[in-house]
Amino acid sequence: MSTLLSQSAAVIKMNIQSLPRRLWMSLAMVFASAVVVAILLAFLAMAKGFDATMQSAGSDDIAFFMRVGSAAELNSSASREQVNLIENAPGIMRDEQGPMVSAELYVIVDGVKKSSQTEANLPLRGLDQRGVTMRKGFTLVAGRMFEPGTDELIVGAGVLREFDGFDLGQEIRFGKYTWKVVGVFSAGGNVFESELWADAKVIQNLYNRGSSYQSVRARLEPGASLDAITAYLKSEPRLTHEVQTESAYFAEQGKSLAYMAMFGWVISCIMALGALAGALNTMYTSVSDRAMEIATLRAIGFSNFSAFIGTMAEAMALAVLGSLLGSLVAYIFFDGLNASTLGGSFTQVVFSFKLTPELFANGITLALIIGFVSGFFPAWRAARVPVILAFQAGR
Amino acid sequence: MSSENLFELNNVAKRFTKGKETISIFEGLNMHIKKGDFMAIMGPSGSGKTTLLNLLGGVDQPTSGEITFAGQRIDNLSESKLAKWRANNIGFIFQFYNLMPMLNAAKNVELPLLLTNLSSSERKKQVATALQLVGLSDRAKHMPSEMSGGQQQRVAIARAVVSDPTFLLCDEPTGDLDRQTADEILEMLQLLNRQFGKTIVMVTHDPSAAKFASHTVHLNKGKFVKAEELMA
Amino acid sequence: MKDFYLIYKNLTRKKMRLFLTTFAIFIAFLIFGAVMTLRSALNAGVEMSADNRLVVVHKTSFTNPLPYAYVNKVKTLDGVKDVTHANWFGGYYQEPRNQVVTLAVDPETYMTVYPELVVEPAQLATWFATQSGILVGERLAKANNWQVGDQIALSSNIFSRKTGGQTWDFTVSGIFKGNEAKVDTGYVLIHYKYFNETQSWGGDSVGWLILTTTDAALNEQVASQIDTNFANSNNETDTSTEQAFNKAFIEQIGNIGLIIFGVVFMAFFTILIVVGNTMVLAIRERTNEIAVLKTLGFESKRIFKMVLAESCLLAFLGGLLGLGAAYVIVTGAAEQMARFLPNLVLDENIVLQALGYMLLLGLVTGMAPAIAALRLNIVTAFSRG
Repeated sequence: MSTLLSQSAAVIKMNIQSLPRRLWMSLAMVFASAVVVAILLAFLAMAKGFDATMQSAGSDDIAFFMRVGSAAELNSSASREQVNLIENAPGIMRDEQGPMVSAELYVIVDGVKKSSQTEANLPLRGLDQRGVTMRKGFTLVAGRMFEPGTDELIVGAGVLREFDGFDLGQEIRFGKYTWKVVGVFSAGGNVFESELWADAKVIQNLYNRGSSYQSVRARLEPGASLDAITAYLKSEPRLTHEVQTESAYFAEQGKSLAYMAMFGWVISCIMALGALAGALNTMYTSVSDRAMEIATLRAIGFSNFSAFIGTMAEAMALAVLGSLLGSLVAYIFFDGLNASTLGGSFTQVVFSFKLTPELFANGITLALIIGFVSGFFPAWRAARVPVILAFQAGR
Repeated sequence: MSSENLFELNNVAKRFTKGKETISIFEGLNMHIKKGDFMAIMGPSGSGKTTLLNLLGGVDQPTSGEITFAGQRIDNLSESKLAKWRANNIGFIFQFYNLMPMLNAAKNVELPLLLTNLSSSERKKQVATALQLVGLSDRAKHMPSEMSGGQQQRVAIARAVVSDPTFLLCDEPTGDLDRQTADEILEMLQLLNRQFGKTIVMVTHDPSAAKFASHTVHLNKGKFVKAEELMA
Repeated sequence: MKDFYLIYKNLTRKKMRLFLTTFAIFIAFLIFGAVMTLRSALNAGVEMSADNRLVVVHKTSFTNPLPYAYVNKVKTLDGVKDVTHANWFGGYYQEPRNQVVTLAVDPETYMTVYPELVVEPAQLATWFATQSGILVGERLAKANNWQVGDQIALSSNIFSRKTGGQTWDFTVSGIFKGNEAKVDTGYVLIHYKYFNETQSWGGDSVGWLILTTTDAALNEQVASQIDTNFANSNNETDTSTEQAFNKAFIEQIGNIGLIIFGVVFMAFFTILIVVGNTMVLAIRERTNEIAVLKTLGFESKRIFKMVLAESCLLAFLGGLLGLGAAYVIVTGAAEQMARFLPNLVLDENIVLQALGYMLLLGLVTGMAPAIAALRLNIVTAFSRG
């Protein structure tokens, strides 16, 4: 058995050392598997980044109320009366100022994207200090909070990054009204950073919303049950709302780019078939290139198993090398890449591509499959190279 | 069966099928090779000498008949058993040397030892001995591409004898070399035969190479013939 | 073409390699065909827009409504031919996730401004006359299996009915088609008047205006006239050509679109490079045989042509198969996924581009070995053996 190992080790070493002879074919295989892995990772990183931006925005201990059937915050509505009723729902935490409830407005304004210099939808959220404190991870990174009752607003770090004209101290015009940027906030990288925040009352006023709001957030008491709240909503005829945890809402929104991951898998798997064809060509060439050497080793007494393993190892090595290269390229070009796209509420969501170890593992697995399949059949042929070949004419 | 015979071929036949045709190389071939012999096999192309060489080397198997080596049947061994048998008993010397181009001389010579359980220091010792025997101790670190044809063939000889097989099989060992170098190689084979008692079978085209052997057999159309008959 | 037999024999000498190479090219053009079709479908809105059509939206955002009075004000302006308007209904069918793009429009003027929508005259007349009648796009009707005369209940995720609830009952009056395959027919048209009278929000407002100019050359003039007209009002407007508007809307999808197509094209070219490399090496292997042909008296030029013809043949073999497969898949997907995907049409533009790339692949991969063959000196070729 130990000789089988030392035989195989010697054959593997020789195969690797003979690679420069087949440089171009070998590089083609490395290149092909690298691209397959890089493409897969690009798509997965995109879906992951978007999902993470959404997921991290929601809290489990915040109840989120929207009008039935509205699907996204933009479409929802809630009158002052309805907000008051929601405040009386069971399980909502209270402090010295009363129930911890934030009624919010969500309107769309145009911003100019830095990348394309075209206008794109940005959400302008109206809320009060209570709503601000409900966001975990909220910090002002520059400037100060907006003054209630004034036309001041604060901008999310993501907006500042992707859009023109939102620098601290600048004035911006949306339609007829001019706003002043007095602060920049971070929310730990989540979707709230793609928003502009201003005082809810001012927005009600400027956008003719009367005293109405759109969505309502409420902090839950520990152990509060959503079922009880749902029952309360059903029993109150003046309420047309449904409730879910804020994290459930954002988890659903995060799925809207999940099709990207799927599309990525489909494209990469089709690509992988193409790469596989190239890799098989490479490995068959390798076997015919080494036929004389394989035959000579077999004549000396090396087993056909060692010829098989040698070829297999060469294929795996090339594929793994490709996957490492592909991962590196994906890491350099895609990890942290800033992007923005339309989210569930018809507004821009700014997010970064995100590569995780788990995604890299996916890429390397795909490359290993390519390596295995492209090695197996040529290795089979290598194991069956007739020994007689060693006695036939020279190279 | 004489214990002095290393190889015995009894009633060996070898046929190939090519498409619908069956080509017969040998029918009822009998042959024996004594221990310590240095036999040259000559014959025109198509006479069956390469096939014979393949059968003796355990690289090919007869269609029918028996081949025994040191009293043991080898014609019915499995592929992997044959590989082991070759590793233990036979050293090959090829016309085109068949060195691994990516390995230096010492590593090439070491290859058959990888099939044994020797430790790496023991292997090194044996490689050094074999290289010394062929007079290439100073070339141990050279790559095949840096050596002349004669030197490459000497490395090949070192590789053939390093695991101390009883039997050496040479296929046109001087076919690719000039006269003077060829003679040096042949003298080396002679030395291995006389001093180290190796049994050698050498297939060759070249009558002056055959002269170095202790005796020569002629093969024509799958049968052993007298030299005179071949000339006729 | 009497060399065709030789070319054919050269191509098929190694069946495995021929198969693998063809397969890789096949995959490359399959991806190319499918992705280009998807891209052209996404851009169809821009491509299909009429040059004399303008869109008027609220300056703050196109999601803000405009007063109904603007329709008549715009109509009186110079250079304006026809004006119509639309409201976003926010429709869904049965489940909020089954979104149905639904526009509340003024039927007569809408059909005048969008002449590319084709409806049987009888159906059109029924729709004009039926308040609760709807006109359904062909693709959407197929996806949901809706027929003329069906009762369809559509809900809105924005509006409520005065009588309560958010679901309206409609009757399918007719089905509209496009006068070209690429015209989008994935939406529903309802009567604005009916919608406006039954919804509880009140306020005579429209989502946006669409107008045609008497001459495309007047576009800019008319646009600035409209925007100046409403400047400093409560509802300032932003007027652009339909093409610019659609383009801006697509750009909202953002640079991820750019990244995706960039990545996929990288993939396409990589496969071509990998395959090209194999093809070059395959012909290189034959230096000896080419020398033999030359010795036999084949002219260099003729060999040059044979080598090029071989590589082009291979490129077109794999490429056309791949493009064919893309066509089959795209057609299948268009049927299966009509609900999610826009009109998928693999048109002649894409075919021409693909053919161009096939030719390029054949020429580039064949050129190096063909030139080598052209220059090959017979004596050196033999000494290599």
